[in-house]
Amino acid sequence: MSDIIKLIIDGKEITASSGDSILIAAEKNGIEIPNLCYLKEMSPYGACGMCVVEAEGSPKLLRACSAKAADGMVINTQGDRALKARKIALELLMGDHQGDCIGPCSLNCPAHTDCQKYVAEIANGDMEEAVRTIKEVISLPASIGRVCPHPCETACRRQHVEEPISIAYLKAFAADEVLKNGKHILPETAKETGKSVGIIGGGPAGLSAAFKLIQKGHKVTIYDKMPKMGGMLRYGIPEYRLPKAVLDTEIEEIRSLGVEMINGCTLGKDITLSDIRNKHDAVLVANGAWKSSSIRCPGENLSGVFGGIDFLRAASLGEKPEIGQKTAIVGGGNTAMDACRTAVRLGAEEVSIIYRRTRDEMPAEDIEIEEAMEEGVIFRFLTNPAEIIGENGKVKAAKLQVMKLGEPDEKGRRSPVPVEGEFITLELDSIIIAAGQKNDPAGFEELETTKRGTILADERTFTTSIPGVFAAGDTTNDGASIAIKAIAEANEAAKFIDAYLDGIEIPYKKPVLSERSITDDMFTEYEKHPRIKMPQRAPEDRRNDFTEINLGFNKKEAIEEAKRCLSCGCHDYGHCKLIKYADEYCTDCKRLAGEYHKGFKEEKLEVIFRDQHKCILCGLCVRTCEEIARQGILGLVGRGFDTVIKPEFRNIDIRSICANCKKCAEVCPTGALKIIK
Amino acid sequence: MRIVIGEGSCGIAAGAGKVHTKLSSYLVNSDIEIGIAGCIGMCFLEPIVDIYDGKKLLKRLVKVKEEDTENIAVSLRNNDFEALKKYEISTEDSVFLEKQTRIALRRCGLIDPESIDAYTSDGGYSALKKALTSMSPEEVIEEIKISGLAGRGGAGFPTWFKWNAARNSEGTEKYLICNADEGDPGAFMDRAVIESDPHALIEGMLIGAYAIGAKNAFVYVRAEYPLAIIRLQKAINEAMEKGFLGNNILGTSFSCFLKIKAGAGAFVCGEETALIESLEGKRGMPRLKPPFPAEKGYENKPSNINNVETFANVAWIIENGGKAFSSMGTENSKGTKVFALTGKIKRGGLVEIPMGLTLREVIYDIGGGIRDDKEFKAVQLGGPSGGCIPKELLDTVIDYKALNATGAIMGSGGMVVMDEGTCMVNMARFFLDFTTKESCGKCVHCRIGTKRMFEILTRITEGNGKDGDIELLEELCDGIRSGALCGLGQTAPNPVLTTIKYFRHEYEAHINEKKCPAGECAALRTYHINEEKCKGCTLCAKKCPVNAISGKVKEAHIIDITKCIKCGQCKEVCRFDAVEIK
Repeated sequence: MSDIIKLIIDGKEITASSGDSILIAAEKNGIEIPNLCYLKEMSPYGACGMCVVEAEGSPKLLRACSAKAADGMVINTQGDRALKARKIALELLMGDHQGDCIGPCSLNCPAHTDCQKYVAEIANGDMEEAVRTIKEVISLPASIGRVCPHPCETACRRQHVEEPISIAYLKAFAADEVLKNGKHILPETAKETGKSVGIIGGGPAGLSAAFKLIQKGHKVTIYDKMPKMGGMLRYGIPEYRLPKAVLDTEIEEIRSLGVEMINGCTLGKDITLSDIRNKHDAVLVANGAWKSSSIRCPGENLSGVFGGIDFLRAASLGEKPEIGQKTAIVGGGNTAMDACRTAVRLGAEEVSIIYRRTRDEMPAEDIEIEEAMEEGVIFRFLTNPAEIIGENGKVKAAKLQVMKLGEPDEKGRRSPVPVEGEFITLELDSIIIAAGQKNDPAGFEELETTKRGTILADERTFTTSIPGVFAAGDTTNDGASIAIKAIAEANEAAKFIDAYLDGIEIPYKKPVLSERSITDDMFTEYEKHPRIKMPQRAPEDRRNDFTEINLGFNKKEAIEEAKRCLSCGCHDYGHCKLIKYADEYCTDCKRLAGEYHKGFKEEKLEVIFRDQHKCILCGLCVRTCEEIARQGILGLVGRGFDTVIKPEFRNIDIRSICANCKKCAEVCPTGALKIIK
Repeated sequence: MRIVIGEGSCGIAAGAGKVHTKLSSYLVNSDIEIGIAGCIGMCFLEPIVDIYDGKKLLKRLVKVKEEDTENIAVSLRNNDFEALKKYEISTEDSVFLEKQTRIALRRCGLIDPESIDAYTSDGGYSALKKALTSMSPEEVIEEIKISGLAGRGGAGFPTWFKWNAARNSEGTEKYLICNADEGDPGAFMDRAVIESDPHALIEGMLIGAYAIGAKNAFVYVRAEYPLAIIRLQKAINEAMEKGFLGNNILGTSFSCFLKIKAGAGAFVCGEETALIESLEGKRGMPRLKPPFPAEKGYENKPSNINNVETFANVAWIIENGGKAFSSMGTENSKGTKVFALTGKIKRGGLVEIPMGLTLREVIYDIGGGIRDDKEFKAVQLGGPSGGCIPKELLDTVIDYKALNATGAIMGSGGMVVMDEGTCMVNMARFFLDFTTKESCGKCVHCRIGTKRMFEILTRITEGNGKDGDIELLEELCDGIRSGALCGLGQTAPNPVLTTIKYFRHEYEAHINEKKCPAGECAALRTYHINEEKCKGCTLCAKKCPVNAISGKVKEAHIIDITKCIKCGQCKEVCRFDAVEIK
């Protein structure tokens, strides 16, 4: 029997056996000392420097994994010196750690949809699970999958091989597939709280917040001025991109959870903000941005001049706006593309885009531009309306100033400048100004606004100047943006509304994450598999009606496309000890970043995937292989900064000597070792 | 008459081998004997040929070239010493040896290292005999304690204490290990001892083995010292033959066997626990301490490790008594210490001096001051683990405590002298480059931390230093010092810390003004032509590889610094010293 000793750790008097290390003594008494290279089953190693503690009377920090606990010792595991030493150890490790905790797709999605997860589920053929994953964030997957400009794909690493994954279309596919089978994936709702929330606006933001809040057990009522719910998804996005039947189904799903939806209810006319505030325990303002911006050009008041979104709304309401035979759309964004293609479908013979820069600068998506061109739209680059000429109060022509691109500014951007005295005249029956949109402040006068007239909302908590009134989406702060941004804000706002109703505050800390810095040579090993092209109706056919132009993937195509995913996000995120500690101790995990260790090219193992860029050289795999698995295959090889772990002292194929016991992967504290089989 | 040629590695590198061959051929059929000795430590005078009459040194010829040998041979045959005068060491250079006090190096360069008879006839192995026959192991340890001998490898830990701990450790199987993995850039005293007086090491080790009770001993010597290994092996073989090694040494019950283990050249193997790992056939990586080697060392058995120079003092102490040794030096540091004096010094080489001399005495009185009469700037002590000492502290005495107080360390004895042309930031960078590559890679602080320090120093020397870099370096230094696992990492910040401490203005000039005050950092140099000195010869303009120099014939030229790639060719070709570096 070993002797019992008494010592003090963090002010707590504890007992331990003589011979115990400080770490074991602490652990026995429920005090956790951080460590990365330690494993109870093996002798201490001392590489990571995380377990350092302060001992009274010792000028040096002690490594708790190896220093023996002694009778009468006074240990402080949380002293400044120890914390500082751990922080610097972690900053050094993180600065040399090349890995993505979370895939760039998900990080770049404003709502942080777990793209990697649902793409993998689609690759596995499990569409229901995929929809469940998507609905953690997006309540309208079939709709959003069709219309989202997909920042996820912009960030997708697969583009370094050839092209990004078709993440958005995959989302739509999974949702369609489930709906096609008559399935409705709906979340559980919590027990009723007795609290209620009024939401102003039934667009993507309002619907998303309703979806989230109803799950929390609150009663939700949406007030919307239009005849039907859906907001800009319904009245701003043309049918050929998003069939309203799809939207209807998804809205019905939300309604089926118990959300009350009131349409045709205009604020300031039918009801006031304070009415709603008085009726509910909290209010979310998500009324969007529904006014077209002006371009301050003479003749803008003539008959035959339409605002971009006004025109789209009219068209979607079946109003057939009178645009005549010749029309032009001013602007280069997605609304301009929607407008020109809608004009084509309404029967206009000559449809032009007037844009003051060149194609390269157009903010609209490439695919939209291409499709518009295919449908016969004429692109008049480097022109800008100087005057809209009228006759009898009606549009007759537009005088266009010819532009050129100026010298690049500091950021390399070339702004358009007029070519002195050069104009062209374009005969027109109508002109559609798609140069942005604004919110309508009517009915919200009580709320504090920004300089640009949008509702001022706290960027983190979405609170407004009135307690209990929150605001999100296009109507707030920076104004109109994409639907997924509004959804992201609404989801967050819902979280804070829920907390507000519970009377709690959510503290905030930005999580520390590792992100890879990319060079093209990292992707040379992948075989090229270009993305699967979305099958489409032929331009000459589709330009005549509003039927959806995309025909959708079939299941085989979707699975094949999903399998292209490189799975950038780390499999170990959530378990990784390194990032757990980094999150706890560091604020900027790249503060001590520099050159990364090189690693080496190695043969792939059958059951384990090794990512040397995530390896922190803790030596656990080496020691496990030797001491526990009794294989002794691995060792630290080389010297200095570029030391690597590989088969030691022999130059043979690791596959032929590895016993595939996977014990090494089980003990790896980071995502450097992954069991693949 | 007998001539002796100094043939340590350094002498051989300077041409001693060829001189030997030539002299042999010219002296065939004469009664002049030719022999070899090891290194006497006067690197700046190699090759050296000593002329003896019996044991009496008649003449010392220095910087002997192959083409001088015929003349020398003729003069020797004719006993014409007058003709040898021009080869003889100057009185000024003789000071180099005269001012030294030699214990560890006492026979280096004087006896034939390849002959055990040369050693025994000079009193060798008498200390061993004394210890084995008239002293108990405890008495030996006591004598070492009286002497005050401390570890000469760098840490300066009292030798008796380690011996005593190993002696008192439980277990019958114990090991004695000599650390001859001399890795500090600029240090070469251990090599000199092994190459020049290998039996002194063996004798010291045997006394140590007797003291701690070890039957087996190892010399861990770096493989880059092939001559040392050959001579040591020969010495071991001869000692075995003569009964100084093996079973029942000198007829006593004490038995000891000695083996050489050649290390593969990892600097970290100078760290005792990493050395033990390497000795066991594993990768050279430090172990956690405790347990210390005295408790669990080689094969987890009690072991004692000392450095070559430490052992080289042992026989002398036993022979002359601990008091004789401790009568030299200061209160904290007893005896003598060998330094490898290198850098911008007039007389570089091995210097053994009593502790307590000042750095100034070593550098100016023995080393003769700075080469080309330039200004002294700093002296670097202790290699990559050590630090820089500036001009203001030249009167610091050589003493463990006093040197530590400056931020440098005694170290193994590397003493690199720097003049005004040395950039201190670049110097720190040099050492960090070394540690970054030599870190074993095990612990985070050393593996990544030194790399980051190296990167910061590099960017500073390249003119990309940022505001806050000095503070960041200091923060890293602090973190690495307290966090690294072994001595290599813990002391790696020293070159940076001391240069920041004493030469902060140089760092600031690099960062803020993008200037290297010493003019050493190529990226920060700007070349200018002094209008008054330039004669308009056009040579520089013709030589410039990027056509950065313009000017008319016989008129002052101008360097376009936006084009200049700082190759320095203009300065090299200018015959009027008109190209200046700013």
